Amino acid sequence: MSGTAQQREPGRDSLQPRVVWLEKDLEQLVTRFLRRKEAEVQRMRAALTDADFEFIERAGHDLKGAGEGFGFPELSVLGAKLELAARGRDKELLEAHFGTMERYLKRIQVRFN
Amino acid sequence: MRIAILEDDTSQSELLSHWLQLAGHHPHPFEQGANLLRALQNESFDVLILDWNVPDLNGVDVLRRVRQQLHSSVPVLFVTGRNREDDIVLALREGADDYMIKPVRRLELLARLEALARRARHVQDQAEVLEIDAFKVDCQTRTVLRNGKQVDLTAKDFDLSVLFLRNIGRLLSRGHIRETVWGSNAVVTSRTLDTHVSRIRNKLGLTPEHGWRLAAVYRYGYRLEHLDQAALQRLTADDKAAAV
Repeated sequence: MSGTAQQREPGRDSLQPRVVWLEKDLEQLVTRFLRRKEAEVQRMRAALTDADFEFIERAGHDLKGAGEGFGFPELSVLGAKLELAARGRDKELLEAHFGTMERYLKRIQVRFN
Repeated sequence: MRIAILEDDTSQSELLSHWLQLAGHHPHPFEQGANLLRALQNESFDVLILDWNVPDLNGVDVLRRVRQQLHSSVPVLFVTGRNREDDIVLALREGADDYMIKPVRRLELLARLEALARRARHVQDQAEVLEIDAFKVDCQTRTVLRNGKQVDLTAKDFDLSVLFLRNIGRLLSRGHIRETVWGSNAVVTSRTLDTHVSRIRNKLGLTPEHGWRLAAVYRYGYRLEHLDQAALQRLTADDKAAAV
């Protein structure tokens, strides 16, 4: 991800989807990881409805820690943003980040070699 | 190496385990601090990887108990998202040996683990020739000389001998021995393990009259001890007292 992309305002597509090439032995792990993260956006949305910011902060923290290791540094960046926005109890910003995460997960193309 | 991982994020735990397995290590994941502490009562590990934010006991609580209650000096590597200087200082002061901030990179993690184990003398270069007391162990030719004479050992006997000779004075759990010598998936009974231990004790002369003791620790495992003169004298005195 470029520095320019990181500086864009949330709500716009600040995380450009891209083709990611990963090693074949990671296929199962990565597939499971992405599926979990898709489900997690829904859980975070529900948590926001309940004003459970701790859950979102925690989920963001985990995403920040794991994303890059799986080959998705953009998700680590987004995780850090989620963590920060949850700590600041910023509902609007969180909604924007959820949207960004959903779009990214939907459009990411992972290939294994 | 046998490595315990305290990490409650399933994805992260799976990834770390995967990396460790690819590098030939044996990962043992734990999601809760209490479970890891319970396992440490019966099991030995070469390194502990601790996350900070886990349910029940956090990583620092676990570290404190490992050091203060279990009196264990097992190398500890923190792998956590907490990047504040005071967090890093606290973990190191409580007894962590190294600290990595997530996201971690695979090769760096592996290199740091190897460095930790090397400093703890649990791992040595496979090509290395170990020379300890009357023993000369060549890990390339897989031979053991005792006082210059080759000892007749099976492949498993050799692996077991190297494990003990590389971990002198360290208490190794049965699980640890089984996994290192026979592999994670092997089914090895306690009796088989005891038989092999007994055999290398005899073949290598790991007995007090030769300055060694390969001691069984009830319900836990074994420890190879190199007896110094004072210990030998104490043993002799104990023998004499028992004979009276």
